[in-house]
Amino acid sequence: MVHKRLIFTLLYDQGQFMLSRNFRLQKVGDLAWLQTHYNFSKISYSIDELIVLDVSRTQRSPSKFCESLKALTEGCFVPIAAGGGVRSIEDANRLLRSGADKIVVNTALFQNESLVSSLASEFGQQCIVAAIDIKHTAKGEFQVWVESGSVCLEGPAASWISKVTRGSIGELYLNSMDRDGTGQGYDFQLLDLIASETSKPVIMAGGAGNAKHLAAGLADKRVDAVATAHLFNFIGDGLKQARQSLISSGVELPLWDVQFLEQHLGAE
Amino acid sequence: MAKPVVTVVDYGMGNIWSVLNALRYLGSAPIVSANPDEIARAEALLLPGVGSFHKAMATLHRTGIDQAILGAVSKGTNLLGVCLGMQLLANHGSEDGYKPGLGLIPNPVDMFTMQEVGSQKIPHVGFNRVRIAPDTSLFKGLPDAADFYFVHSYRILSGRLSGKISTCVYGIEFLAAYEKDNIYATQFHPEKSQTNGLLLLQNFLAL
Repeated sequence: MVHKRLIFTLLYDQGQFMLSRNFRLQKVGDLAWLQTHYNFSKISYSIDELIVLDVSRTQRSPSKFCESLKALTEGCFVPIAAGGGVRSIEDANRLLRSGADKIVVNTALFQNESLVSSLASEFGQQCIVAAIDIKHTAKGEFQVWVESGSVCLEGPAASWISKVTRGSIGELYLNSMDRDGTGQGYDFQLLDLIASETSKPVIMAGGAGNAKHLAAGLADKRVDAVATAHLFNFIGDGLKQARQSLISSGVELPLWDVQFLEQHLGAE
Repeated sequence: MAKPVVTVVDYGMGNIWSVLNALRYLGSAPIVSANPDEIARAEALLLPGVGSFHKAMATLHRTGIDQAILGAVSKGTNLLGVCLGMQLLANHGSEDGYKPGLGLIPNPVDMFTMQEVGSQKIPHVGFNRVRIAPDTSLFKGLPDAADFYFVHSYRILSGRLSGKISTCVYGIEFLAAYEKDNIYATQFHPEKSQTNGLLLLQNFLAL
């Protein structure tokens, strides 16, 4: 049985890491700040996967993003998915050569399906994480938003999700724009939008504010991984404590011994 | 103890940076090469890989890297294949049509079937428990079972293989790691498996 996963998502914007609340971005600090204050490499031993997204709304600089990705992931020995503005095979290749193992695709899922299938044939389906941003309408229906949550797609979210799921993707990353950064817990209604026969792993995102929220997500049979991008709630010792409390409450997260490093590699 | 200089084979389809990152962290100074002559002369070889078996084999063949690897292995050079890099060592693959592999692991690579995985999802993504064969070199220092990170839709079955066969179960038991003579391979990503994987790579460097 494969273990469920705890994922941390970092949001990058032109050299800065950001906190997002309902898709409004707030600057937190740059890479040096993140390392100095939070020793990010050490934190990575408390997660099962890292996602780094370039959420820059204005001009993206892919080469700078890749430099940051390289620096950030030095000393991180977990799977890393990266994305934001992937528009070509070359964009994806650059990320994969800068520490990423998987590519996160969002807008292209809906507006450039041929790119998604070429990415899949180039790197394999398992390499493609389909990130879908979803928001409630006033009437309580769900809709999919693209281009950093600025453009709403016509039609119900469930049919878009179903279309994406049938395509050449490896995993679904369902992000609630309504819960994003609120710390109110995941929106489990999003899971009802996925057809029950879906065979792609599902990552839940948007709204986790504490370990209980993560545990609730992991307890849902339809969920394979839970993600949080809440820098302030989980950075520092937050993720370590959240992981420990999940494991001691019986969640079967993978185990490794951080002491191995000191015991076996200490002489380095 | 002097560590070998590991040559990481670059055929355009690996998560090269992550592999280098882990090797460097362990105090090794790896070389990246796409040059068959350099590969043939390597002190130790690491064949990474993410992507399609068919495409990867076609590239190895076109560039002559396939023969360089086989030449090095026949001289006794230690080889570690990781993920697709392990699958390429197999007899043949069926991803995107039949294609012969390097033939160092005498079983085929095929996709997980629905019958095998049951209600579980394909690809097999995430940390899963590996049942470690007795007396391996790669897993020295780890318990009998340890968690490693997998991401794959294709697998090699462990039946009929000789050598040290470590396995994992995803509906069906499949080959998680292989060790025979100077041929080493892991279906999982040691460079992505936290300290469990670092220890394995450290063991490879210490061979």
